[in-house]
Amino acid sequence: MSDTNLTAILHKKGDIRLEDCPIPEPGPGQVQLCMQHVGICGSDVHYWQHGYIGDFVVRAPMVLGHEASGIVSKLGEGVTNLNIGDRVAIEPGVPCRRCMDCKKGRYNLCADMKFCATPPYDGNLARYYVHDADFCYKLPDHVSTEEGALLEPLSVGVHACRRAGVTLGSKVLVCGAGPIGLVNLLVAKATGASQVCVTDIDEKRLVMAKEMGADCVVKVTSKDPKEVAAQVIEALGEKPDFTIECSGAPPSTRTAIFATKSGGCVVLVGMGPPSVELPIIDAAVREVDIRGVFRYVNCYPTALNMVASGAVNVKPLITHRFKLEDSIQAFETTLRGEGIKVMIECKK
Amino acid sequence: MQKVGICGSDVHYWHEGRIGDRFVVTAPMLLGHECSGVVSKLGEGVTHLKVGDRVAIEPHGVCRTCDACKIGRYNLCPNVFFLATPPDSGALARYHVHGADFVFKLPDNVSFEEGALIEPLSVGLHACRRGRLSMGHRVLVCGAGPIGLCAMLSAKAFGVAAVCVTDIDASRLQFAREVGATHTLQIRPGQTEQEVAEEVTKLLGGAPDRTIECSGAQFAVNLGVLATTPGGIFVIVGHGPNKVEFPVVSLVAKEIEILGSFRYINTWQTAIDMIACGKINVAPLVTHRFRLEETLDAFRCAKSGVGVKVMIDCAQG
Repeated sequence: MSDTNLTAILHKKGDIRLEDCPIPEPGPGQVQLCMQHVGICGSDVHYWQHGYIGDFVVRAPMVLGHEASGIVSKLGEGVTNLNIGDRVAIEPGVPCRRCMDCKKGRYNLCADMKFCATPPYDGNLARYYVHDADFCYKLPDHVSTEEGALLEPLSVGVHACRRAGVTLGSKVLVCGAGPIGLVNLLVAKATGASQVCVTDIDEKRLVMAKEMGADCVVKVTSKDPKEVAAQVIEALGEKPDFTIECSGAPPSTRTAIFATKSGGCVVLVGMGPPSVELPIIDAAVREVDIRGVFRYVNCYPTALNMVASGAVNVKPLITHRFKLEDSIQAFETTLRGEGIKVMIECKK
Repeated sequence: MQKVGICGSDVHYWHEGRIGDRFVVTAPMLLGHECSGVVSKLGEGVTHLKVGDRVAIEPHGVCRTCDACKIGRYNLCPNVFFLATPPDSGALARYHVHGADFVFKLPDNVSFEEGALIEPLSVGLHACRRGRLSMGHRVLVCGAGPIGLCAMLSAKAFGVAAVCVTDIDASRLQFAREVGATHTLQIRPGQTEQEVAEEVTKLLGGAPDRTIECSGAQFAVNLGVLATTPGGIFVIVGHGPNKVEFPVVSLVAKEIEILGSFRYINTWQTAIDMIACGKINVAPLVTHRFRLEETLDAFRCAKSGVGVKVMIDCAQG
């Protein structure tokens, strides 16, 4: 089989196939990209294993992948912000640009968002892909295309820390030490948090969190969220001002509320069951705000500046590497939970 | 098109052919950007409007791809298209074409004139949002022209405790009182900014928490800094001389925030809702009416300054 535009397609639950597809042509305002690196996200794995996330259902074959970087190979009509040969990070969601959410600057909430690898829209785990040029960000020479791909999860961290209000001197609790917990740890520290505590049920993940800068870690063994909260408070020496919940596990969300200082803020990044029982009175009477976080908005330039300046080092997040031809193996490795970020190299 | 109001900028382009160095009339262009109409045809892909819909028009066209557009501050888009700002042509005609997402349906109880007034009202609304006006505030508005009046009407709708409008012209202040200003103050020749600041404070029962400058006068810039209470916010809307001397040490010592306010963002639906529920009454601002065929007379009237808002009726027959 020719593999000029080898593409990883999820045909249906459990069925990923590598197929050659036509090379797409850029329309007005778009660029064609020779894909370089694509990281695997938990959502990609979830669609593969379950065929849906909430109301997003895989009803037709869909290309996977959305944490990506590429090299501009062709310019569509009217593109002035990029040149052929530019190495870029690709922000995977293109909104409608016209609705009130878009016009208010919250395009992540656009009801007509076209997001890579969220059905029915194709992702970019392929050799070639086309995208709107203004959502492609040129990488400086010293930032690798692997780091470019990592700007996607890093942007989740930027958005969550902004929504929480993390700032100089903040004490922060991050629940969950997976890739999203880790990027939140990195961003919180970079933006001036003085103390960050990370919780998880997995010892190995907590070791990684410490290596990446966590001031303290708490291994969750108790089923009582108040007890876990007490352990966090003891480890930090006080209640955190902000808590970034990245696991989606209901007991962890409850812990987040109990632990947070009065007047503080809990942001919910992790996604678990759609309905969760929470200590709402505790949150209300202590004015602990609860804010949702969905993907990111206007974060890519910030994330890029943080990586380019060295304020954040995302390279250690990559623990496994595969070539595009071995994507299925890459997905199986991710499913086994062996590492942190599995990165796929797409060039021939 | 139904109604188009005349703005000071339209008069300025007509009379001077330019505003500043950036906006120069070098080719024929239509004037008019405060407008309302009836949808007569739909372009491809338009789903939220129907032929026959009565609408108000936000004069913007924006690129939607730059940083300013993406953060929701499209009024700052470097490639912005704005009706009747050269080289962009306006809407003073029987027919006009516009980006559908900048066109807003009017409820039955909002007139075409009110629809056209949403433009200047939006300047006031945006200034109040920029200034984070809120219930209970004492507010100073400098200038009782249409923009000052719209800032006053907007401020009242935010539930502020009192609005004092200043001007040099007594008849404009009389009009301001008629349309809702709780206090007015005429600035007398020879008065210093400090004196006026003290009088405003006495009238309002305290220094203003918020000041909105709508006159373009250097005097008002100084007044804003001197009058505004420590920790307050001073919003500058008026376009006057570009370089102004003002008491910066007072600004620093009082931690006053000075914020520029330029046109508006995302105000049309709010303005429609506020007019429709009766919380803002803009209709009295229209003092003179002309037909499209009488446009030159309309402009002469606007230039003379005898009224507040001159409205042109564009419907045929």
